[in-house]
Amino acid sequence: MSVEELPKQEANVLRGHEGAVLAARFNADGNYCLSCGKDRTIRLWNPHRGIHIKTYKSHGREVRDVHVTPDNSKIVSCGGDRQIFYWDVSTGRVIRKFRGHDSEVNAVKFNEYSSVVVSAGYDRSVRAWDCRSHNTEPIQIIDTFQDSVMSVCLTSSEIIAGSVDGTVRTFDIRIGRELSDDLGQAVNCISLSNDGNCILASCLDSTLRLLDRSSGELLQEYKGHVCKSYKLDCCLTSSDAYVAGGSEDGYIFFWDLVDASVASRFRAHASVVTSVSYHPKDNCMISASVDGTIRVWKT
Amino acid sequence: MDSDEEDLVFFGTPIEREEDLTSRKKKALAVASSQLRTLPSWKQEVTDEEGRRRFHGAFTGGFSAGFYNTVGSKEGWAPQSFTSSRKNRAEAKKQNVLDFLDDDEKDEMGGQILGTSSQFDTFGFTAAELARKQAEKEQKQRPSVIPGPVPDELVIPATESIGVKLLLKMGWRHGRSIKDSSINSHHEARREARKAFMALSSVDKTADGGGSEPYKNSSDALMEDLATDDVQSTGGTTPVYVRQPKQDLYGLGYDPYKHAPEFREMKRSRLSGNKEIDFRKPFSSRQELATAKSGKLASGFGIGALEEYGVEDEDIYSSGHDYVETYLPNDDDELSRLAIDDGQQAARVDQGAVPRFRIASKSEYQLQRFDPPIVPKDFAPQHKFPAPLETNNRTSDLPPPEVPPPVDNIHKVLIEGVAALVARCGKLFEDISREKNQSNPLFNFLNGGSGHDYYARKLWEAQQKCTNQIRMRPDEKLQSTVQKMTAESRGNILGERPLERTLKDSCSAAAAADDDIHVQSNLSDTFTKPEVFKELLETAKPYKDDPAKQARFEQFLKDKYQGGLRATDSGKATYMSEAARARERLDFEAAAEAIQKTKSANQSKLSGEQLSDFTMATGMQFTSGGVQLGNSTEELISKNMFPKREEFQWRPAPLLCKRFDIVDPFMGKPPPAPRMRGKLDSLIFAPDTAKITRTEDVNMSSDQSPTLWKSNGELSMDMSIKEAEVAVEVENVERPVDLYKAIFSDDSDGEEDNSVLHQMEDPHKKTEAASAAFSRIVAGDFLESLGKELGLEVPPDLPPATSKAGTLLPHEDVTQDFPSSAGLGGSAVCDSKNLNRVVDDRDRAQEVLLMTPSSQNVDNNTKLERVGRGDKKKKHELRSSSSEDERSRKRSRKHRRRHSSSDDDSSDDSRGRYSSRSRDDKKRSSRKKHRKRKHSRHK
Repeated sequence: MSVEELPKQEANVLRGHEGAVLAARFNADGNYCLSCGKDRTIRLWNPHRGIHIKTYKSHGREVRDVHVTPDNSKIVSCGGDRQIFYWDVSTGRVIRKFRGHDSEVNAVKFNEYSSVVVSAGYDRSVRAWDCRSHNTEPIQIIDTFQDSVMSVCLTSSEIIAGSVDGTVRTFDIRIGRELSDDLGQAVNCISLSNDGNCILASCLDSTLRLLDRSSGELLQEYKGHVCKSYKLDCCLTSSDAYVAGGSEDGYIFFWDLVDASVASRFRAHASVVTSVSYHPKDNCMISASVDGTIRVWKT
Repeated sequence: MDSDEEDLVFFGTPIEREEDLTSRKKKALAVASSQLRTLPSWKQEVTDEEGRRRFHGAFTGGFSAGFYNTVGSKEGWAPQSFTSSRKNRAEAKKQNVLDFLDDDEKDEMGGQILGTSSQFDTFGFTAAELARKQAEKEQKQRPSVIPGPVPDELVIPATESIGVKLLLKMGWRHGRSIKDSSINSHHEARREARKAFMALSSVDKTADGGGSEPYKNSSDALMEDLATDDVQSTGGTTPVYVRQPKQDLYGLGYDPYKHAPEFREMKRSRLSGNKEIDFRKPFSSRQELATAKSGKLASGFGIGALEEYGVEDEDIYSSGHDYVETYLPNDDDELSRLAIDDGQQAARVDQGAVPRFRIASKSEYQLQRFDPPIVPKDFAPQHKFPAPLETNNRTSDLPPPEVPPPVDNIHKVLIEGVAALVARCGKLFEDISREKNQSNPLFNFLNGGSGHDYYARKLWEAQQKCTNQIRMRPDEKLQSTVQKMTAESRGNILGERPLERTLKDSCSAAAAADDDIHVQSNLSDTFTKPEVFKELLETAKPYKDDPAKQARFEQFLKDKYQGGLRATDSGKATYMSEAARARERLDFEAAAEAIQKTKSANQSKLSGEQLSDFTMATGMQFTSGGVQLGNSTEELISKNMFPKREEFQWRPAPLLCKRFDIVDPFMGKPPPAPRMRGKLDSLIFAPDTAKITRTEDVNMSSDQSPTLWKSNGELSMDMSIKEAEVAVEVENVERPVDLYKAIFSDDSDGEEDNSVLHQMEDPHKKTEAASAAFSRIVAGDFLESLGKELGLEVPPDLPPATSKAGTLLPHEDVTQDFPSSAGLGGSAVCDSKNLNRVVDDRDRAQEVLLMTPSSQNVDNNTKLERVGRGDKKKKHELRSSSSEDERSRKRSRKHRRRHSSSDDDSSDDSRGRYSSRSRDDKKRSSRKKHRKRKHSRHK
């Protein structure tokens, strides 16, 4: 994949959110995307045709993160109302609400089998919720974090979460072990490489850091963008050749994975780029911004 | 906390949440009903509405019950009489429900009956009905032009509705709109005043030729305001309903702004802003929106009504977000504007100021003028300033011309000295010295004698210096070395040019007013850059990438090091906001400080990196993007330090494993131990005040078997489960996690297995040994108490080592049985002191254990413990009986040692068994004894 193939051309603009869009996520096959924002709604889009499909309203406050199951049947979302909503995609109804976080919930993810929802909250905890039973209590509460947990990632056997206390903690269910990688800087967002060997962590000192998961060593640092006060997402391209990330000045950056040079940067939004999500297969990316738009980028 | 709460003052009444309220109600109901339910039926009371008992039993009310509760008269209930005769037939009476009802029942019924009273006949229907009937009646008597019944329209209700009456009482008249009248009455005078102002302002406006924009706007607004008032007040009668005239071209009933009312506002504001036709003041809908939303809330959506507004609800994203003004362009705007334009124009033309208003011939509104206050005749316009201010002021005077110093060197020195003193201490000193030295010819210069000119000059110079010092005081610490020098030497160092006298001389007295500033600016200009400062500037350019900022920084440095007038430079950065300027100033301050620091630290040249390093080191928050933060060394450090990897044990919940389709790595393992926290630590090892009283005791008991404590690790356990557990506890004191595990876990380690095995071998032996040990302890305690009671003296020359060795094991015989243990005892003596602390800890650990005794323990030791408890009681009595028991107990112990040989026959057979065992066993047994003993003591 060369620099020319990076998605830099604006293909579509998805408008509809009133106010800031806080997250935009592709679904598993990349045909649809979900977004959520300050207007307390979750929206389902077809980014390739630029069509707004459905709006999910039930949240009482801003929606901070959303995730959809691989079979596209369920959505999980979380936000400022301290609850995690478990939605049915087709009917748009809330199936369940998971209550228990003591404050805002920053991130939420399904596991591989869509049977567990793992949420990370401002209350310094990561909680796992059961979707199969009707238990209102979380399956497990992980409260070893020292500060707000901003982001969570799941593999088939691990829970990885990044926190403002500067750590990226990996909870290996298989071994029963917690690995804590202290980066020394507040971690905003973590993202797993597609081969699963590395973690990309966005830190509040305007640096993205690439960690080797097995050894915990720092592989590379990516700089140039501005990330000082907002939660900005980062991701790797589908081929893991480039690192993509938003900036607080409305730019989108692409770095070369290996030599950390800025491969491309362009002004994408009028305001802070809160979220980027890369298509699982194609050279396509969506970005969400505080300016209320979601933009679809293609080569 | 308490005091905090007392300080709080609450205003208002707390809002009771509905759910609370209802729940409370429900609870009350439930209580009542439950009471009813709990009471047996014969105890329940029926009460009437006044709360009286309704039914009485034979003993509590008897006969009177019926009368009190139903009829209400002493005579009782009289049935309705019915008489009918042939002559006087009783009419068939129509019976009513009310005939069969009690008073209270009637009341209940009465509440449900609806009726209209003519007094509150809001719409006047009944009155109209009455009037019509009346008219019909009259019509029959009176011939009329129109035959037939009177049409309804002609009959007007004779009464007014209550609402109309009220309004009339409030001063309303028919045909006036309600709102107008009140406004008119309230704002009559004010409008008058505004009108006068309008007239004035319009004159001003023409004079100004345009005038300033805001001014114009305000006058426009006023104008418009007046116009609306005018229209409304002169409106005369208002119809009952005011219909909105249809002015657009939309279909009937179509409202383009149905779902977007904010655009309606926008349109209206546009119309009114342009044409002043609307009765509202022009305003920007956007502004209104912004003000309507509370501060930083997100646009268009806030938080729910039931949720409280917290800090986290502030819209952090709003800063960069601009409203996009979208406006619906519609054609009818233009049309209506045109139509309205005409009318407006006509209205404007006929009057100068306000339509339908004339300028009053006699204005009631007058400007009130006040005469200036009269100054009292004896007022002396004089103000005395404190000395430094005086000197300050004096610097504004013209400098006296420079005069060659007097020939006499002594005279010159004297003059200079006096001048310096006067400059520092003020005019007063001059006066004093003049008075004092009137006769002294050397001080003639004070009175205008020889050398006066020179004195004046010197005085001026000294004062100048003084003021400079005062000005530079904030920077004194930087300038300290400089300030110690005289003006001349400093001038030489700094490359100061002599002040231009010609300029000063040419200054006229008139220019003296602003001379202060002039002098200062001249001064700062005449100074060339001081070397320090120059060096700083050359080396340190922290804002290389922003030349403007660098320039400002240089200016800042100049000000800082020269102490010039600060205010002058602020004008250069007027485009910056106040906050930005302040931040930048802090920035500069930090940078300068860093520079200064490096200078003082090492005189070597500064590099930009070092500078930024210092700003980093001082932890400055305000270093903005200008200063380069990226530092190679810093990075290196951080790279070396981070990322740090740590590994912990983490136990996933079994259900989580199941859901992840993973085999639980902790399957079958004991439940997870809580991770060690600081709290737990302190819980176990916190110094306990209660323990202090026992320390002596603990030490003593530890004295008895330090070897055993020490050799703990090497030994295998066989005596009892309890012992094994204690040993485990002792080993793991440093690791409470394992401690807990050991306490709560049901599976056993190797040691425990071992002990269990041994227990299987000789459980009988074990119990016997244990009982023997305890009987010995009891005996020992008994001896101790006995010795104490008898007050037996023990020879003081007994060496402590031997005494310890003696008390180490309860019986000498034991040591005799095992000669090899003597050596151990010796080593124990050496270590005993050191071990005391350890033992303390162990002791505590044991206490922890005691809080959660295992069932096995209890089974094995019930008997022993009972004995031990009794023993303990005894000890307690002992301890409480005498305060200075420590010494005496020691004595008694020593005494006991003597007696022990005679007393130990009670445990002979057990000792026999000990002797048959290995040395290790022996040791353990005595340790066990010791432990048991401790156990009982601290129980």
